[in-house]
Amino acid sequence: MPKYGMVIDLQKCVGCGACALACKAENNTRDRGDNNAHNWADFISTTEGKFPNTTQIVLPVLCNHCDVPACIPKCPVVPSAIFKTPDGFVLIDHETCTGCKACQQSCPYSTEALDDRSLAGETYSVISFNNKRKPAQPRWEDNTAMIPGCTSSGAEVAKAAGAPLPAMNGYESTETQPVRARGVFEKCTFCYHRVTHGLLPACVDVCPSKARIFGDLKNPKSEIAQIVKKQKYFRLQEDKGTKPNVYYINKYSARA
Amino acid sequence: MKLTRREFLMGSSATIGLLMVEGVLAATPRNPKSSAIKIRKAGPAAPSKGEWVPSTCQGCTAWCAVEIFVQDNRAVKVRGNQLSKANNGYCCPRGHLIPQQTYDPDRIKVPMKRTNPVKGRGVDPQFVPISWDEALDLVADKMIELRKNDEPHKFAYIRGRYSSTATQILYGALPAIYGTPNYFSHSAICAEAEKMGPGLTQGFFGYRDYDLARTRCLVTWGCDPVSSNRMVPATIKHLGDIIARGSLIAVDPRMSTSAAKAHEWLPIKPGTDGALASAMAHVLLVEGLWNREFVGDFKDGKNLFVAGAAVDEAAFAEKETHGLVKWWNIELKDKTPAWAEQETLIPAAQTLRVARMMAKHAPQTAVWMGPGAAMYPRGTYAAMAVHALNGLLGSIDVEGGVLQTTSPPLGAYPKRDAYLDEVAKKHGKGKKVDGRGAKDMPAMMNARPGSGVVTNNIANGMLKDPGAVKVLLSSWSNFNFSCTDPARWDKALAQLPFFAHMVTNASEMTQFADVVLPSTMNASEGLSVISNNGLTHGFASIQQPAGKRLWDVKQEETEVCWLLAAKLKARGFPNLYDYFANEFKDPETGKTPTNEMEFSEVLAKISSAPLWMPKEALKGDKLEGWADYRKKGIYNTQQYSFKKGWGGKFNTATKKFEFYSETLKKGLTEHAAKYQTTIDEVLKVSGYLAQGELAFVPHYEAPKRHGSYQDYPFEFVDYKSRLNREGRSANLPWYQEFKKMDTGDVSWGDVLKMNPADGAKLGLKTGDTVKITSPAGSIVTQLRLWEGIRPGTVTKCYGQGHWAYGRVAAGDYAKALPRGGNNNEILVDDYDRLSGSTARNGGFTGVRIEKA
Repeated sequence: MPKYGMVIDLQKCVGCGACALACKAENNTRDRGDNNAHNWADFISTTEGKFPNTTQIVLPVLCNHCDVPACIPKCPVVPSAIFKTPDGFVLIDHETCTGCKACQQSCPYSTEALDDRSLAGETYSVISFNNKRKPAQPRWEDNTAMIPGCTSSGAEVAKAAGAPLPAMNGYESTETQPVRARGVFEKCTFCYHRVTHGLLPACVDVCPSKARIFGDLKNPKSEIAQIVKKQKYFRLQEDKGTKPNVYYINKYSARA
Repeated sequence: MKLTRREFLMGSSATIGLLMVEGVLAATPRNPKSSAIKIRKAGPAAPSKGEWVPSTCQGCTAWCAVEIFVQDNRAVKVRGNQLSKANNGYCCPRGHLIPQQTYDPDRIKVPMKRTNPVKGRGVDPQFVPISWDEALDLVADKMIELRKNDEPHKFAYIRGRYSSTATQILYGALPAIYGTPNYFSHSAICAEAEKMGPGLTQGFFGYRDYDLARTRCLVTWGCDPVSSNRMVPATIKHLGDIIARGSLIAVDPRMSTSAAKAHEWLPIKPGTDGALASAMAHVLLVEGLWNREFVGDFKDGKNLFVAGAAVDEAAFAEKETHGLVKWWNIELKDKTPAWAEQETLIPAAQTLRVARMMAKHAPQTAVWMGPGAAMYPRGTYAAMAVHALNGLLGSIDVEGGVLQTTSPPLGAYPKRDAYLDEVAKKHGKGKKVDGRGAKDMPAMMNARPGSGVVTNNIANGMLKDPGAVKVLLSSWSNFNFSCTDPARWDKALAQLPFFAHMVTNASEMTQFADVVLPSTMNASEGLSVISNNGLTHGFASIQQPAGKRLWDVKQEETEVCWLLAAKLKARGFPNLYDYFANEFKDPETGKTPTNEMEFSEVLAKISSAPLWMPKEALKGDKLEGWADYRKKGIYNTQQYSFKKGWGGKFNTATKKFEFYSETLKKGLTEHAAKYQTTIDEVLKVSGYLAQGELAFVPHYEAPKRHGSYQDYPFEFVDYKSRLNREGRSANLPWYQEFKKMDTGDVSWGDVLKMNPADGAKLGLKTGDTVKITSPAGSIVTQLRLWEGIRPGTVTKCYGQGHWAYGRVAAGDYAKALPRGGNNNEILVDDYDRLSGSTARNGGFTGVRIEKA
């Protein structure tokens, strides 16, 4: 049984955002709203030093699919709606998720009320919530037109395209709803629906710099296992004891 | 290998910051109990089913070959064309926005007609939907009226983004056969001044290719090629490896991504690129670091380049170059790094260090010059100075260096001369309203005076002579937003009798339209052949429909042209239609098109036929036919042949790489003769400082600045967003959401970035609403204090500030209120007159900042 993990090479990453956009396309995540970003792949960005000795560091972030997830024990559902698979994926069962927030509150990489600092890449949340009382895909449920009779509305586009989101990526899945309903939490699945069929996660697949290396940490011959064995790395908030499976190597800036 | 905690903290200042950030997120430590985690299998899952349809992005000028995943007739997601060599199977973030742009709810879905005769910014055009029939009737009536009055030259067409092949219909055939000289490209508001660097030194007036897989030292100068400019996915792919094996150097007043990642960041004072380049050239010569193989050497081997001392031209034997010693004597001998420090604010020690670094890796050193070092008044000479460094380093046309380009063989459209009637012949070659070739506007692209477009001057031409243009057609353009001082365009278009706009969205320019012809989103709905190059290969990529068209929209260059030609024929002017219907034949069947969709396919087949039914075997990809080409989507050429211009084959007056530009001298001589004046006088009236021999060598011209330091104390730096799909993506929530990926920027916002020291002086803080005022106008936006810009200089990204286009892009579309501010509103309408390019860089407009 493999154990999946991801390495992100910061020297190769240029913070272009292609990974996060491909993630949105692959997973049909909605637009930001109600203090939730709905970006399963996102970024921390920090500017350091004083001019002219300034550098910037961009750090792509996503669910760490921890070995010791803080979220799972807090889930009140029996069996827990958020669960870990034998091959290392941490998934949410949207059939049983009650939208209670325990996972989001307990995850060291998430925050319940994402504030404006996230717009500058200072904060983030890998878990997002779909409000119980509001449209799940507000952009595509809107019925207003900018120029009546001449431009369409979100709902009209979706209807004409024949899908809840016009660009919906209709994948198959048991626990994860490809388009989430109201009232459930959502997060990165490591593209379970792709990886179990031999494809790479969308963010890895599209990275123009090949900064993301995904694979089986338990297979000593895999590229990722070799990197973790040989290269210096860090993981986020190791002090929380979550044993994350997303590793970072090298420096974003040659001057850092 | 796990980092120890000490290494973790010491290894990178970044991680310290990150720990602090994380601390904010996790206010209360939690101790998960591993015992509580039960492992459980997940149920079945599978990726979506569908097919990858090849197409071409055109979100910037890289024109990357992409593939769009189509499921149930819907465009879903995007990746680079897996067979592409120029973008190696990847696209940059722009490509991923194609489906979002395709399904933008604010897209125009049917033709529209204006019902409010009053035109102006903020005036509701009161558009109503009409049929294509009615829309084209309106356009054709206006065009016929001009011909009847013997004034077809008062019809103008201006193109924005276009297909590199099909443009020969709307931009080529239509104006020629109809009979107007007034057809224009948008090019001069983009980066044309850049082309003067390689153009006037090596006779290549184009965008260079880079062999990044073998580059050891990359100098990004006035651009951030991992974000914008050209070859974006290719540069993203190779940048990390270049950092690992060599050096990355970024010359940019603001901390771009390249600057953030670079070994050396030179935050140059805007507009002083020529001074830095001259100082670097000075170092390379004084220290004997030039490339002997390309440039040659002193006859007795002794380096006579000593600061301040003139050199005897006869002492040096050049190889592939011309005029090195002249350049030294005229410009370089006194341009020491210490001198340059006064102009550029770059410490002399850094200039010295970087010049040596560049020489160390040469000739695998590529100086990648971008618009930031050229698109300003007097920018031609800065472009020459920066590009000339490639000559000194021997990087021209060598592996790992700076290359000219390779093009795929494409089919030409049939000759149209027989379809030009007397009216067309009489009016088609007249004077153009953009003022090119005037005494003070040499616009000498390709070294031919009066040959370059002066896009932004069209508005001035229309204002000066309100009768000059009576009917305007324009496609994929938004000059009321994308040109500096756009109020001129507002005025010019408000007084224009008739304007038809071919666009996807109701942009700022569309607000002045009488008729709107809704365009296909060509990356996902068009059909054409797009060619470009990158990473030593040329390519021809198809653009074809991915999924079904949802709305009643038509491709502007092919389908609409056919339908318009039919309307003109019905009104007694059959020439255009007859040309299309009689001369264009399917290269396989010989059949002529009978409707607009067949016409569009025949055009794409004619353009691409030499690739898939070649007369003799090609050196690049092998294609089995039209169907195979559509399925693969791309033809890649063989690799560029290096040293193409070596051995006296550069396209210059001397056939050499000219450090003393005989090519420029020839062009200027011709232009001066036309006005019976001197070159010195031409330069003077065109705003250049050079006189005499200095005019013919790459050199530093002090920046021209609108606004006094007293009234407008800050330099302003404009640059492009990595998510700009040429200004068409600001209406996408994903653009707004990831705006923060532009260094220093804030998502869903538009921030002016200012050094904290300046903020302290002015009592301004992050989040303040500020007014930016220049001699041209003012805009209001948010402030962010940021260490990525030097005191005295402020910077803001171009892209936001829409007051139309859509409900996401605009602050309030109905009220014509902007989201943030459009940089162009504060940039003065000025030019680099040797190229005709619009000035937008180089700090040429001073600004002041006040709390709003």
